[in-house]
Amino acid sequence: MRTRTVGVLLAALAGVALAFPGARAASPGHVSTPLPPVAWRDAPGLPPLPEVSPRNASYTIEARLDPEKRTIAGTLVLEWRNPSDQALSTFPFHLYWNAFRNNFSTTARGEGRRAPGDRRREDRTFGWIQVRSVRLLGDAEQDLTPTVRYLAEDGNADDRTVMEVRTAKPIAPGATGRFRIEWDSLVPHGSIGRAGWVHDYHFIAQWFPKIGVFWKGEWNCHPFYPWTEFFADFGVYDVKLTLPRGFVVGATGRLESKTDNSDGTETFRFVQEDVHDFAWTASRRFVERHSRFDDPGYPPVDVRLLVQPEHAPLAERYLEATKTALRTYGTWSAPYPYPQITVVDPAYGSSSVGMEYPTLFTGGASVLAPPELQSPEGVTIHEAGHQFWYGLVANDEFEEAWLDEGFNSYMDMKASDHSLGPGGWGRRHFGDDDRRGGRGGRTGVPAVAPGVRMARGSESLVGLREGGEADVMARKAWKYRDAGSYTLNSYGKPALVLQTLEGLLGEETIVKVLRTYARRYRVAHPTTADFIATVDEVTGQDWRWFFDQTFFSADLCDYAVEVKSEPVRTPAGWFEGKDGKLELRSPRKKDRGKDDEGPFDSRVTVVRKGEVLLPVELRVDLADGRTVTERWDGRDRWARFRYEGAKVVRAMVDPQRKIAIDVDPSNNEWISDERPARRAATKWAARYLFWLQNLLELHTVVG
Amino acid sequence: MLTALRAGFRSLGRNWGLVVLVLLANLAFALVLAVPLSLQLEGDLANRGASRAMMYDFDYDWWAQWSEQQRGPSAALAPDLLGTGFALKNVDLLLKGALPAGLFARGSRPSLDATTLGVGALYLLLQVFLTGGLLGVFRAPQGGWTVRGLAHGSGFYFGRLFRVSLLALAAAGAFFALNAPFARWVDGLARDAVSEKTAVALNLGRHAVLLLALVLAHMVSSHAKVMVVREERLSAVLAFLSSLGFCARNFLSALGQYLVVGALGIGLVALFGALDGRLAIVGWRSQLVALVLFEAFVAARIALRLGLLASQVELQQARGR
Repeated sequence: MRTRTVGVLLAALAGVALAFPGARAASPGHVSTPLPPVAWRDAPGLPPLPEVSPRNASYTIEARLDPEKRTIAGTLVLEWRNPSDQALSTFPFHLYWNAFRNNFSTTARGEGRRAPGDRRREDRTFGWIQVRSVRLLGDAEQDLTPTVRYLAEDGNADDRTVMEVRTAKPIAPGATGRFRIEWDSLVPHGSIGRAGWVHDYHFIAQWFPKIGVFWKGEWNCHPFYPWTEFFADFGVYDVKLTLPRGFVVGATGRLESKTDNSDGTETFRFVQEDVHDFAWTASRRFVERHSRFDDPGYPPVDVRLLVQPEHAPLAERYLEATKTALRTYGTWSAPYPYPQITVVDPAYGSSSVGMEYPTLFTGGASVLAPPELQSPEGVTIHEAGHQFWYGLVANDEFEEAWLDEGFNSYMDMKASDHSLGPGGWGRRHFGDDDRRGGRGGRTGVPAVAPGVRMARGSESLVGLREGGEADVMARKAWKYRDAGSYTLNSYGKPALVLQTLEGLLGEETIVKVLRTYARRYRVAHPTTADFIATVDEVTGQDWRWFFDQTFFSADLCDYAVEVKSEPVRTPAGWFEGKDGKLELRSPRKKDRGKDDEGPFDSRVTVVRKGEVLLPVELRVDLADGRTVTERWDGRDRWARFRYEGAKVVRAMVDPQRKIAIDVDPSNNEWISDERPARRAATKWAARYLFWLQNLLELHTVVG
Repeated sequence: MLTALRAGFRSLGRNWGLVVLVLLANLAFALVLAVPLSLQLEGDLANRGASRAMMYDFDYDWWAQWSEQQRGPSAALAPDLLGTGFALKNVDLLLKGALPAGLFARGSRPSLDATTLGVGALYLLLQVFLTGGLLGVFRAPQGGWTVRGLAHGSGFYFGRLFRVSLLALAAAGAFFALNAPFARWVDGLARDAVSEKTAVALNLGRHAVLLLALVLAHMVSSHAKVMVVREERLSAVLAFLSSLGFCARNFLSALGQYLVVGALGIGLVALFGALDGRLAIVGWRSQLVALVLFEAFVAARIALRLGLLASQVELQQARGR
């Protein structure tokens, strides 16, 4: 009985310590500051929001999923309006799933998650999309199937991810062409790409033949490179999905109807205007949860969560995090305009985690989810946040990935910091593998380091230090040196650059920049140049010097401070006496060897160790109680400031941490007091000693 | 089983100085690496603003930048040592085959630096050496011990106990070798699990199986050592085989002792976590309190190990060996 009690107590203790599934993720004592009032339709001084998108690529799709055979058979009608001033007769289409057709595709030949080595490749991870027919509808109906050819922008003739058809008669500027396409697909296993099946969970994305974007005088329809994302035109999607009865289905848009069919299937019809993609998911295991975001001033949004049963205790955290994104992004840029959003918690083993689609996104969670680690909050805020940039602004993610991922990373860190406070640090033990950043696999037991909190942007700095010089940030996504460089330059570095811009501009101005940019370019495919022009316009200054060093450079930024204090000199040597004659003055003995006593003269040197030149502030605290703030343009390699008559107690370059891209913030502050170093060294060496003593003792288990 | 356990811990209670002795040896080994780290930290933090943050809390930015440059033993200083994380980290290292000396580790990436592994291996050797003396003390019903007697017993039995330890290492090696395909198989099952809960259970389960196997190897090895000393066995191999038979015949009692001691160990870690969480180390006084807490924990842990050893002597005596 006693043993059982001890067991129960230990189990309860472990459960409480390790799981906390229902707890809030906010840091202890964290209080959010008020957000600025939201600006919706009526927003004086800001660009108006468009009522609708250009709607030049609208799809009506009918598709049938056979979950036994893992196949999809589909038919679509695309209404494509020529937005250019050129008559066009060639039309490229993305066939993304052919990236998984074989190990010769451009994706498979690369590196990263979507390109596993042949050893990890199982037959079920292959999938494909095969177009059966393409017809141009209308008066001049034409079978375009014989004109199908595959494009190989990268020279890989084996790649089948871009198909082109040719019409006999060009489509005139402003005219609309209607294409009818029939296709079949084999759904790949979901462990490699975002799309795929895992047991009865199906995540179906980038799944239909999708036309490229005619933009800047040419077709933009790149192959599916190993780590690139997407780009598409806006339109209206009207999609009927047929699949066996019993599935819970989530998709882009609102559910218009659900029809029972006589063959044991159901047909779901989803419709959404003004989006540029359509994704859906189906599983019998989904548990459904609903909530509503109706904060004052925002358009109301129904939040639908499809969660795995084992993650149901995390539902409230998912829903709250989604609302956090709608609230913060909505006021810092422009509100989310659609009446619903669907959050999908992917099945275990699926790679569909953490991805954005219009009005739908996937999160990702572990059953052992201590709130300090802010998961699923972090990924939820990030992916929900994509709705505002990828979804509504819709830049070209192939060519300027940072403009979406970087913006979104900047904003998700800002939103998390505002709503939850700094995140904790933890490591997982006894898990499946160590693929998650070296801190244990997803299924491991999390050990949260008590009291350790990471400031906003801290984790990105690690990457910037390690690989920041590998690539210029603003470049085509497939041209980065490797997947790691893509990740750094699309996510971490731009987030830190924008955080630095926020520091230099101030909160009010950066919010005005974001609002202006988000409203003016909603549904408009903006570019980096558009963003820079927005910054210049809002601030009334030319910021090219800043962007040249950050967006268009691989240079690093590092400021450091050095301090030297010396006793004030007493006269020694030959000086003119009262009578004008030279006389020798010797230092008095009592003035020698008293370096610790004043008065002192001090020199503070700010050193620019990196190549990025930014204006910095220096704050100096002197022993006589004075605090001096200096400003330096940062152009030289160093600048020296002298203070007579007082010892420096503390000197800090960039005291408000405005320069988030400073790769080594630890050399920004100098203090004269050496006791903290001694105490800290003892404290942490003692902690290390304790760990080592236990490790040594553990050796006795073996042997 | 519980009687033997109680008797064993009573025996240890009569000879509590042994715990102090082993603690001092443990401390001395650990200080070999901790003192240089302390000096290094003092130098690296000198005049840095981060020193204040590190004195009161933990400066993640400073540590992240600092740890990137660490290659030797200091590389182990990380937030995962905090709270009860140290215990999970150590057990994880054990189950990854890092102990001792990285003998059973799979893959090319070492989980610990060579210096730490070397110190650990030497410590294990010292403990094997001391085991003869310790068992000599526990064997005597009246209790009492001298350093000289302990050293004599340790030296006298060292050769045979060392050979038993080599057999135990070989057994552990065999378990690790068997574990590799087993782990791949279970990981495959876990990857294909429908529910993440199943995957978690499978992963934890396979780690638990390996831990149990190592405990069984230790049990046989430890009872073999007791036999060498109690019965003046000359052959380590025969003692090992006899121990195998003894453990098989008294499986529940022998394993039960481990389970009780293991449960006490987990309770100790939980207690430590609770106390440590309430301790804010900001000055010398609180630092001293922390050091006392740390050493008390290690002493308690050593006491559990020595108590188990004494209980094994008692169990063999009670079961007529």
